[in-house]
Amino acid sequence: MGSSIRWKTTLPLGILSAFLLLFPKIVGSYFLHLAVSAILAMILASSWDILARTGQVSVGQAGLFGIGAYASALLYRKFSMPPVLGMLAGALIATAVSIFLGYLTLRLRGIYFSITTIAFAEALTVIWLMTPDITGGAMGVSTPPLFGGDREKAYYLILAALAAAVAVVRLIEKSRLNFAFTAIRENEEVANVLGINSTKYKVLAFMISAFFTGFAGGFYSHYNTYIIPYEVFNLGISIACLVIPIFGGLYTIAGPIIGTVLIKTIEEYLRVTFSYGHQIAYGLILVLVVLFMPEGLLGLWRGKILPLFRPHGTR
Amino acid sequence: MRKDESPKMALLQVDRLTKHFGGLTAAHDVSFHVDSREIVSLIGPNGAGKTTIFNLISGVYRPNSGDIRLGGESIAGLRPYDICRKGVGRTFQIMQPFPKMTVLENVVTSALFGRTPKVSMKTAEGEAAELCRLVGLGDKLKAYPKSLTVPDQKRTEIARALAVRPKLLLLDEVMSGLTPTETDEAIRLVLKLREAGSTILLIEHVMKVVMGISDRVIVLHHGEKISEGPPSRVVDDPKVIEAYLGKLVNEEGGTAC
Repeated sequence: MGSSIRWKTTLPLGILSAFLLLFPKIVGSYFLHLAVSAILAMILASSWDILARTGQVSVGQAGLFGIGAYASALLYRKFSMPPVLGMLAGALIATAVSIFLGYLTLRLRGIYFSITTIAFAEALTVIWLMTPDITGGAMGVSTPPLFGGDREKAYYLILAALAAAVAVVRLIEKSRLNFAFTAIRENEEVANVLGINSTKYKVLAFMISAFFTGFAGGFYSHYNTYIIPYEVFNLGISIACLVIPIFGGLYTIAGPIIGTVLIKTIEEYLRVTFSYGHQIAYGLILVLVVLFMPEGLLGLWRGKILPLFRPHGTR
Repeated sequence: MRKDESPKMALLQVDRLTKHFGGLTAAHDVSFHVDSREIVSLIGPNGAGKTTIFNLISGVYRPNSGDIRLGGESIAGLRPYDICRKGVGRTFQIMQPFPKMTVLENVVTSALFGRTPKVSMKTAEGEAAELCRLVGLGDKLKAYPKSLTVPDQKRTEIARALAVRPKLLLLDEVMSGLTPTETDEAIRLVLKLREAGSTILLIEHVMKVVMGISDRVIVLHHGEKISEGPPSRVVDDPKVIEAYLGKLVNEEGGTAC
């Protein structure tokens, strides 16, 4: 990789970081809230994409999200654990659950794993409703506003979490894990014969994915101050986790981020134009993407748009 | 006929290996051995159980009974990745390079994971590049498999199998579908590998290859071993002629597929 290319990535990255750091100083509370929920979605989408790199399609990220959310909320309520510590605890508990779930289900291939993950998230809702004494049941759990309601601090916290998630993805891409994940995704049987313990690496990917998803859940519960099972274990969250990277571009760092920006914009636009409009956004986008741009926005950019600006005959 | 027990310890010792798929017996009571630095061919008509034997040795299937020992240590029933790290590299009959990886990345992958002790990314990359050159892909490191010709795809498979530094290399029909010139190149490559110290068990349909490079030939038919010995003796075995070579002669000595 030449130095000119390195410049081409560091410069925009620097401008982007400066913009993100100064963002709370230039916008009002409403946009700050939008930014926080967008960054939350970016973390969820990036986390889902980490597992997807091993070829596994999780449709139950809401289960891990909800576990993180409930863990940190309940730890606060029962043991007055500080919120940020609670979020980390939520992340670790979600990771522990992913190890258990992963070893049970990641031996299954393809669609069977996906189905199990849906069942996992749905089962959690039922378990939560059946154990109101421990979990708060349908009434949910409430916590005081995060940082006393200081949105700016909340913004920086979730931004830091996103930075950590992106850094981890970057590390994966630069390490031997990238080879293992890609090999497993492309041909698990061959990967095994070449010395890759596919179950181990799939579980590892699931753990990393669960950690950030659980943290995001913990953040959500404190930021939102109130959680109920129907919301945090909702299939809608699981769907968002997969639609965003598919829309933005799979197995990339930028895909989930660009995907989120566009989807959130479309969602917000539809919300204000007609009632419940935002609820059709994900379905509509998923259908359009799968039909017309299977490699997502980044694929469209690289394959169709970028070549338009290049001289003929060069690649 | 010679006994399977060789005086010194064989690198690969297969003992009474049996594998059923439902009612079908794909391998029945198969025993043979491969000595260090030997080139042994596994031949037989389609459905004879050759690839099944490969799948059993490399751990893709678990045997119903029997034992497989590599350097004296039993590997029967181990997971494929463990067997690979113990020193078995293989190619696939239907070429399966990872399509979204370049030739070099394909080879790096097995260099990274197929070896014990583990090597660094840098070492893996260096060795992979060297292996690519060895098999004749030195100028195609950055190419994607789908842009390669059939022989080059096979080379990628061989380089990928070699990258695990196998004690035993299993080559599944690496010569089929090649032109005569390409076949000659492939034969030279296999001989070069042996010279470099590899032990090779290969499945082959191209008789020219089998006769030309094998120290010994093992003939399978309906999952059973029906003959074994030096190539010249095996071709004269009436059982072999009946099961396999007889057909070839009728087809004017072409390569049976």
